[in-house]
Amino acid sequence: MKTYEIVIGLETHIQLNTASKIFCSCKADSWGAPPNTNICPVCSGLPGVLPVLNAEAVRKGALLAAAMHAEINPISYFDRKNYFYPDLPKGYQITQFDEPIGKGGYMDLRMPDGSERRVRIHKLHLEEDAGKTKIDRGERLVDFNRCGVPLVEMVTEPDLRSGEEAAQYLTQLRQLLRWIGVSEADMERGHLRCDANVSIREAGSSMLNTKTEIKNVNSIDAVRQAISEEAKRQIDAVEAGQRIESYTLDWDADTGTLRKMRSKETEADYRYFREPDLLPVVLTAAEIAAVQNSLPELPLARRARFIQDYQLSAYDAEILTSERGLSDYYEESVQLCGGAAKLVSNWMMNDLIRLMNDTGKSAAELRLRPADLAEIIQLVEGGKINPATGKSLLARVEAGAGKASQIVADEGLGLIADEDTLRQQIAAILEESPSEMQNFRAGKESLLGWFVGQVMRRTGGKADPKRTRELLLELLRQ
Amino acid sequence: MSSIQLSAYQIAQKVRAGLLSPLEVLEDHLKQIAAVDGVPGSLEPKTSDPAEESKVHAFIEVSADLARRQAEQVRARLERGEDPGLLAGVPVSIKDIFCVQGTTTTAASRILYNFRPPYTATTVERLAQAGALIIGKTNLDEFTYGSSSESSAFQPHPNNPWNTERVTGGSSGGSAASVAAREVPLSLGTDTGGSIRQPAAFCGVVGLKPTYGRTSRYGLIAFGSSLDCPGPLARDVRDAALMLQVLAGADPKDSTSAVAPVPDYLAALEEGVRGMRIGISPDYDHITYPDTLTGEMSIQAIQPEMNTSVRAVAEVLAQLGAEIVENVPMPNARHGIPAYFVISRVEAASNLHRFDGVKYGYRARKPALDLSELYRATRAEGFGLQPKLRILMGMYVSAAQHSAQYYQKALRVRSMIRSDFERAFDPNGAYRLDALLTPTTPTTAFRRGEVMGDSVLMQYSDQMTVAGNHAGIPAVSIPAGLDPQGLPIGVQFFGMDFREDIILRAAYAYEQATRDAEWRAVQPQALRGSEVKA
Repeated sequence: MKTYEIVIGLETHIQLNTASKIFCSCKADSWGAPPNTNICPVCSGLPGVLPVLNAEAVRKGALLAAAMHAEINPISYFDRKNYFYPDLPKGYQITQFDEPIGKGGYMDLRMPDGSERRVRIHKLHLEEDAGKTKIDRGERLVDFNRCGVPLVEMVTEPDLRSGEEAAQYLTQLRQLLRWIGVSEADMERGHLRCDANVSIREAGSSMLNTKTEIKNVNSIDAVRQAISEEAKRQIDAVEAGQRIESYTLDWDADTGTLRKMRSKETEADYRYFREPDLLPVVLTAAEIAAVQNSLPELPLARRARFIQDYQLSAYDAEILTSERGLSDYYEESVQLCGGAAKLVSNWMMNDLIRLMNDTGKSAAELRLRPADLAEIIQLVEGGKINPATGKSLLARVEAGAGKASQIVADEGLGLIADEDTLRQQIAAILEESPSEMQNFRAGKESLLGWFVGQVMRRTGGKADPKRTRELLLELLRQ
Repeated sequence: MSSIQLSAYQIAQKVRAGLLSPLEVLEDHLKQIAAVDGVPGSLEPKTSDPAEESKVHAFIEVSADLARRQAEQVRARLERGEDPGLLAGVPVSIKDIFCVQGTTTTAASRILYNFRPPYTATTVERLAQAGALIIGKTNLDEFTYGSSSESSAFQPHPNNPWNTERVTGGSSGGSAASVAAREVPLSLGTDTGGSIRQPAAFCGVVGLKPTYGRTSRYGLIAFGSSLDCPGPLARDVRDAALMLQVLAGADPKDSTSAVAPVPDYLAALEEGVRGMRIGISPDYDHITYPDTLTGEMSIQAIQPEMNTSVRAVAEVLAQLGAEIVENVPMPNARHGIPAYFVISRVEAASNLHRFDGVKYGYRARKPALDLSELYRATRAEGFGLQPKLRILMGMYVSAAQHSAQYYQKALRVRSMIRSDFERAFDPNGAYRLDALLTPTTPTTAFRRGEVMGDSVLMQYSDQMTVAGNHAGIPAVSIPAGLDPQGLPIGVQFFGMDFREDIILRAAYAYEQATRDAEWRAVQPQALRGSEVKA
């Protein structure tokens, strides 16, 4: 058998998280709303209505273009894509065709094996989402709630080489969309949707063979799995001497199988022409500069900086930059802890992320702010409380119990700072344990841990463990 | 004296001064409608009564209840000491292509026979805000696609009040007829290729197509979105100016509406034409017309009275102090109709996509086998001939393999037409015109049935008007006499972007100077014999 290379391009539809729809003032988010309750004459395509462009959708589209290193077009146009479908109430979709908001661009992908791949962007444009249809008891039902939700359609060049790479692209795209705040990018809610174009070729060849298009690959697992399945099918077919036909496949996530939808031998003619109801979208040099300046430091750059500036391991840096809010949280906490980067990293990697998982909150949503975390870390580091108390305080502050230092004071959680008190407690324990003391002095030094435990029990855990150990050794060796 | 003898301006003045009751004005006009209009257009016309042949049939629907409520509101505002607006108590008819909440809005098509819009067009909203009484919806060519109003799915179609054997022109034929027959002093029409000006000329009234963007298109069921302009039809120039005053201005619901300031059109009227440069073009004294057999373009003379009227109007304006500039070349005027055929139909085909039987309007009654069956049957039964022809043509010339050859080329022709006007109006150019004076139509109103069925010939009745739509500039058609058959002749002034004030000024100067002309005393046939005398 020959060696084959898989050639993949991804077409993504990204719902922008604007407050209102792209051409009317209906809310953009209809999640949970009953069908056809978030519509108006404009988005339901009544006769005579006109679209009015949402400037925030343009800004977010331009910001995404900037994040993809695309050129922002100073003048872009909307066009009509004409076709009939019940979920498209006007019978045409308002989209951008030959002069879209973004030109070119790329995303650098970090692969799990450490290698990098540059995925070029073929197309990046603004458009309106369509509604939804479903068949219920033999009747076709239409819901227009989704009509007019702002979308960016982004298509890659055929630069991906495996299901795993495609999954990585989507994972990092999702991270980026959330990072720059243009989309909630929740695939389960359809904020980020994906179609995959798949073809194969002999390794070493550079030609592009007939591709098939897989629709509805709407989770990262589905992308990985569907592409692998389809590549395998194509290889088997070619090996069996068959020709690959251009058609559209539907991915059934429940059964993990591909189903042929329709032949794509003849391309539909959408009769694109300029949308006469909208003016050209003009962005001045100043507006483009403002968009570019508003672009935050991107995940890859921040990850590199964390490794460089804070001497974090690649793994820690990766986790701490997985989400923008988390990385901001980290940096703020480090600053409040006087630059104790590694220490804060340990607390966050071990305890804060567990707290986030337990509460289901993102870093930005936690009630425990960086100032709270820094306070707790400093209480522990200053020997005011023991580490276990510190860790338990995380959850208590998060639960709304108040400021950490206040809780420590109110509940007497502070360590015994007075050395005389501690000496008296230790002396009492030694007096009660003559045989252990004798054994220790006879050389069984491992009993030190047992003595520490006794002190802790007697003091309710409020003894400073380090000082306790020192005092025990001093008294035992007398 | 019945208030139907008054102009809109006079009615509003009297109503605002408390000298005339808006309810009385309304009843006078409803009475006139009852006297002259006959049965309203409907999908299933009653058996033909010969008496109906000589009726006007301007209306599809008379909205007396809506108008009464509005008249009541005007009265209440007056009682509270408020100013009810520039059009206080003025009955206005609305071409049935504008969505008006509380009326059926049909576009004169079966496919919208039952459509009740849940919102009102901005222009209609503004009229109502200014105290106008929305008295009804007027008939038109189906979806505005025509120049005679005969293609309406709602029959009988409107007849020309001057001679009911003749067409009103179109597509705002019902609007023009309702004004000419004194059923209303004002009507709201739309002009995509001449659909306000041509019927205004045929019916002997004033019709103004504003600059593209001067009036909002929100709520206007689109034909050619880049060409469509709502505008007034009126019996005199001052009324047209008054109505434009109310309609004009930016609309946040229409991104293509212009933010340019709105001048005081009424005040501008009085400024006269002294020093104004008015052009006449040899390219507007004939039409260029395709031979139906060979497709070769040939020059056709127009009805001679059209050119003599233009000369006569120029003469009057010259006497008032205007400078007449002869021989202004408009070389691309002859390409107006072919380019319009392509551009308007591409936009129309797309604009008609939404009528699919899924959401509103007509749905084929026979049970559909599948979705495409539903679309086909609904559109086959719901659309008349004109929409179907325009869909076919529009789809053809915008198809991927034809677009460059037809649609893209037509767009280039369109900008050439625009540059003809830019050259003529250029303040530093050879002509430095303030307005271009042309005939409005090649002929006066033709006979019913004479041109209907020949889509190409029908379209050529817009050759004098369509350039204004391509260029986006304003143009006004005014009555300028009667031909030997007693049919009205219209002449037209084209003007610069947003300079409606200038062309209205020229039109008003001519109107005032010929106030006592004999032909102005002649009444339309539909008004003769009724007890109402001018």
